Amino acid sequence: MPNLPPEQDKVQVSVEGRELSSLMVTREVSRDFFAITPAYRRVLLILGVVFLAGIIAIILRFVDGFGVSERAQWGYYSAMFAFLLITAGSAPLVAVAFRLTKNHWRRPFSRISELYAVVGLLSLLWFLPLMALLPPIEGRKTLWVSSNFVGAPLWWDLFAVMFLVICGLGLLVLSAIPDAALLARTGDGGVRSRVLGAVAGFWRGTDAQWRWHRLGLTALGAFYFMLLIMVQTLINVDFVMSLVPGWKDSIMPAHQALAGLQTALGCVLVGAFILRATGRYRDLIPMESFWAISKILLALSLLWGYFWFAGLITFWYGRTPVEQNVLRTFMFESYRVPFLLNFFLSFLVPFVLLMWNPVRKSVIGPTIAGASVIVGAFFMTVRLYVPAFGIEDITSHGLATVPLPIVPDVLDVFIILGGLAGAGLIYMLAIKIIPIMSIWEIKEGLLYQRVRPLLRSRYLVLGKPD
Amino acid sequence: MTTQSVLALYTNADYAAEAGEALDNAGFAKEDYDFLTDTPYPEGAFGERHSSHRLYVFPFVGALIGLTTAILLTAGTQISYPLVTGGKPILSIPPMAIITYEGTMLGAILFTIIGIIFESRLPSAKKRIYDDRITEGYIGVVVDCEEDQVNTVEQILTQAGAHEVRREEA
Repeated sequence: MPNLPPEQDKVQVSVEGRELSSLMVTREVSRDFFAITPAYRRVLLILGVVFLAGIIAIILRFVDGFGVSERAQWGYYSAMFAFLLITAGSAPLVAVAFRLTKNHWRRPFSRISELYAVVGLLSLLWFLPLMALLPPIEGRKTLWVSSNFVGAPLWWDLFAVMFLVICGLGLLVLSAIPDAALLARTGDGGVRSRVLGAVAGFWRGTDAQWRWHRLGLTALGAFYFMLLIMVQTLINVDFVMSLVPGWKDSIMPAHQALAGLQTALGCVLVGAFILRATGRYRDLIPMESFWAISKILLALSLLWGYFWFAGLITFWYGRTPVEQNVLRTFMFESYRVPFLLNFFLSFLVPFVLLMWNPVRKSVIGPTIAGASVIVGAFFMTVRLYVPAFGIEDITSHGLATVPLPIVPDVLDVFIILGGLAGAGLIYMLAIKIIPIMSIWEIKEGLLYQRVRPLLRSRYLVLGKPD
Repeated sequence: MTTQSVLALYTNADYAAEAGEALDNAGFAKEDYDFLTDTPYPEGAFGERHSSHRLYVFPFVGALIGLTTAILLTAGTQISYPLVTGGKPILSIPPMAIITYEGTMLGAILFTIIGIIFESRLPSAKKRIYDDRITEGYIGVVVDCEEDQVNTVEQILTQAGAHEVRREEA
């Protein structure tokens, strides 16, 4: 093996990409991390202003009325919470799942996905007012059997969301320790370097440290996955199904959890695309990564269609008055427009796009499909949570009539925009505390990937150490 | 006699592994030296180094504590206020399962975090020898030895192809 200095020891890990070295990765990420550009400040300012407008809209909504009897006008607020949970709550799973399965293509996506854990803080705050809006469980069918259960359902819902956020942040911090130590040592000596040094200065990258780092990530990742599915199920049952008299559906909570997995991929794809589009990390996020993740997105989109059909068919053939009214409310009458948008954007658009290999084998194709499923998931939360919050008599035996749709007013629009801007703002702030590229994982990828010639062409050869 | 830390930098992982072998052959224990890298190398890449850890014990203990607490909480409150609702048993498993699951997860997560802190021996105020070039891809081999062994160690590390060798009081 040639004894080259690290700056000259370059490897090509993408057929169309340029050669990379460990030093290049360090320098590129470090330079971007410490730079606070005018464009970055402008984005922060815009997001901050829109977020502030959203907070003002929430305050005005409070003034309008806040309580169980006024919950109908908080439907879009609850939908926004569900959307944050489905998207940002699920996004860290991309890093967890593909790290567990030891994919190499996931390396550029890992930190993009883990960083969504910080949005969990906003989800947690967003959830607090909902605790006062959920009606008591006396006299209606719920998962909890009786109100005798201590803390049921609100406190256990809160704890579930809180534990998910704690686990996600733990995962993010643990994953970022080696990079934080690296940036502290290669940084500009400013405040951020010193803070990172204080937090991660103990890290030297010994055998033992890498071992507990890997084991910790595995354990916390597994717990995150186990928690996420439970939280999605619990929130869906308590904030949607149990508010609709007579709605008994075992597929709906699983459908929301699946939508979360699907949008997790969408969030990561859109994040990675924006990074590339702004001219950064083009060599660190190769097209091959988009291509690989698009296949998973295609499979999950097909699964979305299957779950929807499986849920529909039971009610369609059952045809009891309650089942007919549930279908009319959530799909075919009151909320037909959000349903159709949900169906097209979560299923048809990604399916039709990603069934073509030339589309999958690109950067823009999977990104469009990813953006589509994110918007589709938003309309899914609208068509589920808004009508559920709008039903007045929740203690009757069944849904006797089809409720009229609740059209968003100006405050609802600002609440939604504020929620989205708040999520973006937190994420943007976080990327200047924790680097958006997982430096140690990308460097690890340099050990196991090589582009090598075979006959008349060149191919990526992968090493699988365990 | 003071203990010294000797750090050698290698531009090539092969040479670092050879340095480890040479230290083994010279009679140094595995615990006396370590490899510093900016990315995780596969286990055994620098020679087999078996070291025990107890990280897996922590989540299991935490999960057990969380599960027990949650069962006691749910069963205790139900038995203390036995109200039959909708013909369901006093100790209804589905709602209990939610709380016991949450309790188990919380215990496991908290104990995993405690386990990571414990296994990493944090907090550690002591500043250990390091070279920033390791962040650029150099491999560090650090040896803790007695003062009278420093010259031997430096010679071994240099012969293995070290780019640079330096020492510091441990």
